[in-house]
Amino acid sequence: MQDEISEALLGVARKDRAALRQLYALAAPKLTGLLMRMLKEKTEVEDALQDVFIRVWDRAPAFDPAKGTGLNWLCAVARNHALDRMRSQRSRRQAQSVPVEDALNLAAPGQGPEAQLMLRTEMEQVLRCFGELPTDRAEAVKGAYLMGLSYQDLAERHEVPLNTMRTWLRRALIALKECLDR
Amino acid sequence: MSDDRSLPPEAQDPDDLLAAEYVVGLLDGAAWRAARDRALVDAAFAMRVQAWEARLSPLNAEYPEATPPDLLGRIEARLFAQRKTRFGWGWGFALGSVLAVAMLLAFAVLTPQAPRVPGLQAELVDESGALVLQISYDRSAARLSVATTGPAPGTDQDYELWVIDDSGVPRSLGLLVGDATEIIADLEPGQTLAVSLEPAGGSPEPVPTGPVLAAAALTEA
Repeated sequence: MQDEISEALLGVARKDRAALRQLYALAAPKLTGLLMRMLKEKTEVEDALQDVFIRVWDRAPAFDPAKGTGLNWLCAVARNHALDRMRSQRSRRQAQSVPVEDALNLAAPGQGPEAQLMLRTEMEQVLRCFGELPTDRAEAVKGAYLMGLSYQDLAERHEVPLNTMRTWLRRALIALKECLDR
Repeated sequence: MSDDRSLPPEAQDPDDLLAAEYVVGLLDGAAWRAARDRALVDAAFAMRVQAWEARLSPLNAEYPEATPPDLLGRIEARLFAQRKTRFGWGWGFALGSVLAVAMLLAFAVLTPQAPRVPGLQAELVDESGALVLQISYDRSAARLSVATTGPAPGTDQDYELWVIDDSGVPRSLGLLVGDATEIIADLEPGQTLAVSLEPAGGSPEPVPTGPVLAAAALTEA
């Protein structure tokens, strides 16, 4: 059984305009939250949200419900677009001021009970695997994922040399993969 | 596998690690863009990227919901009022590109520039290793020189060269004629060049329609 967002996305893949409106109603709140966390500035978020839905319209035929939920597919498109904007700027923006800890421990979005349960199970596994990492490294990887922080940003934030940060996180990613694929 | 911990982490599976760094967002500027462009043309790498997206997707639950701005009207206007082609690379996109280029030019004029260093290069080799494109780019003259060795395309086919830049959309640089081609183009380090096999005269679409045979990033010579 498909969730509502995946249904709407499959409609968009068929170029159904009503499905696009439905998808906006269902997914725009989450994507707005995601883009705000990554891009911070209101006008930047608004521009990005438009671009994301344009991309979604073009790329929806590539969505495969067998490989994951519609919401996660949309989040991947939105994260990629936000990173694109952040990494394409000529001068790297100042290290953002929101502490990593504040980005975590947020309420899960509203979804049906089944989706919630599946989400919780997956989330528990990811949290368990992050829990096996040294705390500072787990936080660094999460911060990077959620806010789009680069090695350079993290090195500044944690006050360690860039190469040290890179080596730490590469080891963390390898350990994470081992744990998640277990 | 505790023995592996003595190895430098990048020694284990460099492509998979690169895919992870790309998905997490750890790469900066040109490195991130090069990985993104590679995911467009390298199917094996794209699969690694998808696997990492799936592994980390539960973290998406940590993004909060927020009241979205009401942009549906603008999105629909951009999608349906101005776009004319089936593939969506219509007037809206073209106009956007022109504006983006104009803004970049304005930016270039208004910003004091570091002196342009001549010399970028790339080597594109197809899977069999038979087709090799030695590419050099003279930045001061904006001239791209392509030396092609290997099998010629079929009689009703051409090799077409593409650049994939920040927009993520391939842009044709032209057809490769014989074993030496010169093309005038504005290119930057980190952009990806790709060669595809197209019907004679080049792709009928603004994007490659034939197989992408090889791709590589432009690097400083």
